[in-house]
Amino acid sequence: MGSEEQTRMEEMFDNLRADKYPLKEYTYIGKRIPRRIDGVVKAAGQAVYTMDVQLPGMLHMRFLTSPYPHAKIKNMDTGKAEKLPGVRTVLRYDDPEIPEFAPISGHTPTADEPPLPRIAHFQGEEVGAAVAADTETIAEQALTLIKTDWEERPFNLDTEAAPLQDTAIANLEMYPDSNHINEGLLDVLELGDVEKGFAEADKIFEFKSFRRLHTWVGPERPCGVIKWNGDCIEAWVKQQRPHIAKRVISKWFGGIPMNQIQVHCLSQGASFGGWSQTNWNMGGHYCAAVIARRTGRPVKWTFNRREDFYGGSMDEGAYFYKVGAKEDGTITAVWGDSILSNQIYPVFNPLKHLVENTRIPNIYCKHKVVMINKGPTVPTRCEQNSAAHAFTMIFDHVAGELGLDPTEVALKNDGADGHDMDWLNQQKAKRGFEVRDSLRECVEKGKAAIGWDEKWHPPGEKKLANGRMHGLGFTWTHEWDDSAGSSEMAIRIERNDGTATILGMGCDNGVDAESSYCQVAADELGMRLEDVHYNPQFDPGYFRMTPDSSTNMSINGFAVRHAARILKKKILEVATTPVGKSQRGEFPPAFPDAGPEELNIKDSVIFLKADPEKKMPLSELVGASFNSGPLVDPEALGVRTPFTVPLFAFGYHTQTGTYQPNQPRPRFCRQGHFMEVEVDTDTGQIIVTRVVNTNDVGKVINRASCEGQQYGGTYMGVGRGISEEVIYDPVTGVMLNGNLLDYKIATILDSGPIDTILIESGMGYGPYGVVGIGEDIATLIPTLLGPAVYNAIGVRINDFPITPDKILTALGKV
Amino acid sequence: MTDNPNKNSKYLCPYCSTQYQTFDDLKTHILKDHKNEPIPAPEGMIAMTINGGSYSLRAEPELTLYDLIHDRLGLIGSKQFCDRGACGSCTVIMEGRAILSCMALAVECDGKQIETIEGIAEAEHPLIESYAKHHAMQCGYCTPGFVVTAKALIDKNPAPADNEIREALAGNLCRCGTYPQHPVAILEAAVEKRKFPEGKKRSLKPTEDADKLSFEAVKQDALDKLKGGE
Repeated sequence: MGSEEQTRMEEMFDNLRADKYPLKEYTYIGKRIPRRIDGVVKAAGQAVYTMDVQLPGMLHMRFLTSPYPHAKIKNMDTGKAEKLPGVRTVLRYDDPEIPEFAPISGHTPTADEPPLPRIAHFQGEEVGAAVAADTETIAEQALTLIKTDWEERPFNLDTEAAPLQDTAIANLEMYPDSNHINEGLLDVLELGDVEKGFAEADKIFEFKSFRRLHTWVGPERPCGVIKWNGDCIEAWVKQQRPHIAKRVISKWFGGIPMNQIQVHCLSQGASFGGWSQTNWNMGGHYCAAVIARRTGRPVKWTFNRREDFYGGSMDEGAYFYKVGAKEDGTITAVWGDSILSNQIYPVFNPLKHLVENTRIPNIYCKHKVVMINKGPTVPTRCEQNSAAHAFTMIFDHVAGELGLDPTEVALKNDGADGHDMDWLNQQKAKRGFEVRDSLRECVEKGKAAIGWDEKWHPPGEKKLANGRMHGLGFTWTHEWDDSAGSSEMAIRIERNDGTATILGMGCDNGVDAESSYCQVAADELGMRLEDVHYNPQFDPGYFRMTPDSSTNMSINGFAVRHAARILKKKILEVATTPVGKSQRGEFPPAFPDAGPEELNIKDSVIFLKADPEKKMPLSELVGASFNSGPLVDPEALGVRTPFTVPLFAFGYHTQTGTYQPNQPRPRFCRQGHFMEVEVDTDTGQIIVTRVVNTNDVGKVINRASCEGQQYGGTYMGVGRGISEEVIYDPVTGVMLNGNLLDYKIATILDSGPIDTILIESGMGYGPYGVVGIGEDIATLIPTLLGPAVYNAIGVRINDFPITPDKILTALGKV
Repeated sequence: MTDNPNKNSKYLCPYCSTQYQTFDDLKTHILKDHKNEPIPAPEGMIAMTINGGSYSLRAEPELTLYDLIHDRLGLIGSKQFCDRGACGSCTVIMEGRAILSCMALAVECDGKQIETIEGIAEAEHPLIESYAKHHAMQCGYCTPGFVVTAKALIDKNPAPADNEIREALAGNLCRCGTYPQHPVAILEAAVEKRKFPEGKKRSLKPTEDADKLSFEAVKQDALDKLKGGE
């Protein structure tokens, strides 16, 4: 194409600076839009999820699960199950079509793993057999008829004690020598010299904290459907990165060409990273594919509600801290140690945010990962849970130990990579950003909203008229849009009415990213929002970052913008250039006397800038299509088509992100969160009465969607902070609360009003200066309960979730 | 049936319950005695009115109302989240009351009037538009359950207060945490419903001035209208 926009598109690859080419004015970007694109479909119950899929002749497949936390199948008798009427196939671990190892990895390519294992490493693990039957009930009944001889093995469930356990190795197959699996591997974070830092401190203190296991709880159960059409395979996946499913499937059964794999990724009943990342997901598809081929029938596999509870978030474990600070709140050194369990990707050090986000010059943190006999822990909105936990714990303890206002301690230590704000501001200016003090803006706006200055008090000193103790808490950190990834998006102008269709990968997790793309395209093309629509391509032929990939608009926003700008140029060229001559004659352009640069588009109408009365709606430019298509005149009707070329353009973008080693970009945008609670000291109940979220998102695209991430994340965070814990029986290793009655997520009554404040500093690396927001709030809020409760009762509870029994114990009442 | 002369008889007449030893005997009997009678209803059938339409359905004793409407009738708007009466995603309205379809056996619903999200949407209830407008959803899986619960509330209480709405929704779980938008959407729909009791066609292309749609403004507007007894 060789256009100016093409050159700019390539110039923006690996963008390391401010957006050089933002729009001069915004019509839809940053606004509330009249209706979210999927709003009516979802409210009316018309959205289709993988769980809703039913195909003719479809079989239902369920897995056998282990009753023991660690056990090997000695032998198995499936005879009775096979004879149960309605059972079509029982697939066993020793089936010749089940390889010992197969590529079934989740998000990150990992070593091949058993698609139907013989050994269970946690109670509830899918092992040994899968039954396909006419109904799910029959399949479940058949599972109870399977007789299995188990060889029980010693197990351990205690993260802190796990490294010392040499008799109870949790996973002999993968880590035979020790439960401590990352010795010498991404296990230390180091900056400066902590001993020197402690020597400079006025006060040094140590403490520890715990985060108990919590999990994603996806409303739609884990499931999938596989169907063979000859040698071609068709898959319905509940997988937040459907392109991964396609890539993985292509390696099965000796290799399936990519163009013979059709993947449908329908609406997804969310799992916040979590479920999509585990290898059970693709393991389910693998077994279903074997049975589907054997029976010639489509196979739907499902986990039940309880089985969805076995994975968890990767912050489970124990944290140890030693902090040195000066009297004024300047932190001079932080030493940390941590033992966290079952991480598939042990790369996120708990003190990472201290490096990325503060001027603290001396930091050291050991990050031990151990295996225990519970399910895998994976990024669960999100992988920064441990970092956000440690960050909040450290900052609030500094404020508490020194008797300072936590917002002042935050501002005192803001910076990056051990450098102060002067250095950080130089970095902003060097990269072309307007220099703004993001944290100060968050703090000032948040304090005003919650009434901080009037309400702030020393810990444990404010009893309310209703007898409860009043507490205020504050925490903060940087934004954490990874900003890494790539994206391919296309836009075409439809014949007949001139509306625009955006073509991109379909992957709906609920953040309404699709409306945001429409806002960008509408503003860039000069079209009315209602004339732009997103058409999801269910087969991931076009690639885009899904909102689950820790990146959405920073990447996809560029791709859709480039496509729109290239397309707009093309539209204006078509409007002014004779497109050609057929043997029927010439086809003059819509504006024969103007050049493309003399035209513009507004409200879906092309007009002459010098004389806006000379105009033509896009629909007229593209013209109607008749029976034989858009380019043939139905001469009998006396109609001439405008004979315009197809108006289609694609854009793409790629950039490496801030999570990469040797991170090339300091983080400039900050967020601050304020919480007000009442604590009932007789019952130990915490009542969250008010929350204020302040997020510097750089630039707002879809306002309602941003706010949705704020209050939505707050509710999820409150549940995680006050009640969410997956509990295992220490004697048997059996999970005790794998259901929504006993594992309590937040209800509408669990938070008071939530103020959602969005700050637009423009200091993001995405288009128009955006950064992400989706993962931040749900990750920071859980530990914010700690500062708020401490301020209420004056006693520290460093064990999350903060359940009523912990409060009563801390108060000496039980 | 109770005075069965021959316990080993296998073939039961569906008209008069007389039992026969062989199929041919039964066939002869029916052709002789019942030839002109209408075909009798088989056992295990239940009748229901769903979204205004009448249904005659076979229901095994263990079949739940959820299984019946979602799996058999393909009314997929009712969703299964918790599978044990803890989440509200499968809510339907039975005889005017919001119930959990996963906790009701289909046979218990014999003769009942059922309303599902599909029926509510078909009737152009203003809740659909107000939910879409106020982003009262994210992944959308639990959303129909909220809308059905809200519809049952508005039916009973056309001018619900904020706390009444929150209380009515306390049994509906939303993992995305969309909760704050629901009272706003429901308030607005309640006002709209009183203005247009018979429903109003949704416009396919809403073009309302976007700036006027601030969360607080809509809530205040709805509250003002409610106070004014409009």
